Amino acid sequence: MRTWHIVLALLVAAGLAAVPWLHNDVLIQFGINALLLATLAQSWNILGGFTGYVSFGNSVFYGLGTYGTAIAMVQYNLPFGVGLAIGALAAMLCAALVGLPILRLRGPYFAIATLGLNGAMAALISNLPLAGSNNGLVLPLTRNDALFYELAVALLVACTATVWWIASSRYGTALVAIREDEDAAGSMGVNATLYKVSALVLSSLFTAIAGGIHAYWSTFVDPASAFDTTLNVRMVIMCVFGGPGTVFGPVIGSFILSIIYELLASKISTAAVLLFGIVIVVAVIFIPKGLADWLAHARTSNWRYFLRNIRENRL
Amino acid sequence: MVLAQILFNGILLGGLYGLMALGMALVWGVLNIVNLAHGAMIMLGGYIVFCLFQYAHVDPFAALPIAMLVMFGVGFLLQYCLLNLIVRSALLNTLLITFGLDVVITYMAQLIFTADFRAINPPYAGANFSVFGLTVPLIRLAAFLIALVLAGALWALLNLMPLGRAIRATSQNLTAARLYGVDPRSVYAITFGIGAALAGAAGGLYGMISNLTPYIGASLTAKSFVIAIIGGLNNPFNVILGGLVVGIAESLAALYLGPTYTDAISFGLLVLVLVVRPPRSLRAA
Repeated sequence: MRTWHIVLALLVAAGLAAVPWLHNDVLIQFGINALLLATLAQSWNILGGFTGYVSFGNSVFYGLGTYGTAIAMVQYNLPFGVGLAIGALAAMLCAALVGLPILRLRGPYFAIATLGLNGAMAALISNLPLAGSNNGLVLPLTRNDALFYELAVALLVACTATVWWIASSRYGTALVAIREDEDAAGSMGVNATLYKVSALVLSSLFTAIAGGIHAYWSTFVDPASAFDTTLNVRMVIMCVFGGPGTVFGPVIGSFILSIIYELLASKISTAAVLLFGIVIVVAVIFIPKGLADWLAHARTSNWRYFLRNIRENRL
Repeated sequence: MVLAQILFNGILLGGLYGLMALGMALVWGVLNIVNLAHGAMIMLGGYIVFCLFQYAHVDPFAALPIAMLVMFGVGFLLQYCLLNLIVRSALLNTLLITFGLDVVITYMAQLIFTADFRAINPPYAGANFSVFGLTVPLIRLAAFLIALVLAGALWALLNLMPLGRAIRATSQNLTAARLYGVDPRSVYAITFGIGAALAGAAGGLYGMISNLTPYIGASLTAKSFVIAIIGGLNNPFNVILGGLVVGIAESLAALYLGPTYTDAISFGLLVLVLVVRPPRSLRAA
């Protein structure tokens, strides 16, 4: 991580924060969505990218953040900030409680167990009168998109800074050691369970706050949209497309995919998702290690980079 | 009596569930690919049978072998031309590419077949008979029996035929199989093709029992996933057994807890299985 990386990142962040002064409503609305998605991809990166544990349960934390904020604001008339804190606490508690048993599972079994978590939580919430059961909750309306936009920028910056700290600290090195060989890491004195659960809790914090911001912004929550598995799949795709285990990869990847999707959706509505699928397939074949890895190697080894990837992974 | 009928319905439905998961378990066990497009392939098989029935007036049960053949071709080509390129890559990447395929298949189906609900309705769709006071729907019974027959055929193929031996050898040790003259590229393609053909058969039967839309894929993938884990990747009959467990559990949950809980129940079962009997290894033959 060189100095100019940090300078560039700060400049980009300042540029993003200045967007509301353009007074372009469409751009701000797109920006809020793209920034929140980037935050989700980045927080997924904390566990998925660094420890290699593929979680499909991050949408549970998103849903808990959403519902924590919504319940606090609608049922108890608490201010937005308190709601966010309640949602984040609920998600972190859930991450710690659930993480302890299921982080013992490895590889695809962990992925599947987290997938189950999402379905179970959605069923629980949709039968809870406090959470408005299946009808959902309607939050008080606040028409201040610029505020939400700045909140989303701040959250993404905070999340990226956290990931940057992880990548350059002893903590992150331990996480990577778990990814590379969990047994070896354990024998070197890394308390794998503690590290994995804390990574999951950290990941749940940012995911839940993103959920809370989105809930207040869209003013409506219901179980189907709060506990949406496809949202989780999008986090994974954006992170893996950008480069799991890197600091800026997930952010770049999610911005690029958001822009591609938005452009396609405005030009050709029905085929947009189809082309999105094709982009994913092509990306996996040619840049399986993510955009960040490609950018790092692009200067030294042009098109041969793609051929080498295929040669490494084909049968 | 109600309980007996519910259990019986669960068993019949469970057979079909097992058939759905059969292809996924095979591909997972041999190729080490968790095929997220499996549900979309089931959907595609359903639409093939639907089109043969609706436009060519082929009896749906006679259309099943045709759908299986077509799906075998689709699966073979997909694996041979596309998935073989990345099969040695990390698990995450195979998850991702099959997810991409799932999106592509789903939205191509939406463009071709539109998003309308379709059902395969042969004249005998509602036919049933009674045994010991139990109502036996004809089509569901046929689906159950076909699932058993196909599981038996897969077992015979894997255990009694040279091709099956090649498939099992490839799954156990790729390098050693190669040294003994097995071409893993075509074995992988054939295996994926068989998985797709089984999905096709399951899709045709699903279309006769329930409704088809282009979007059923994701939930069917999740269900197949759960059953493949519960049943294990070793033995086709265990997969069918896993299907029965999920089918019965879902029927009982719908009776006692209400239909909103059916999905949560199957996942709860899964987590229970994972915690009580943590799987030692993923690869199996």
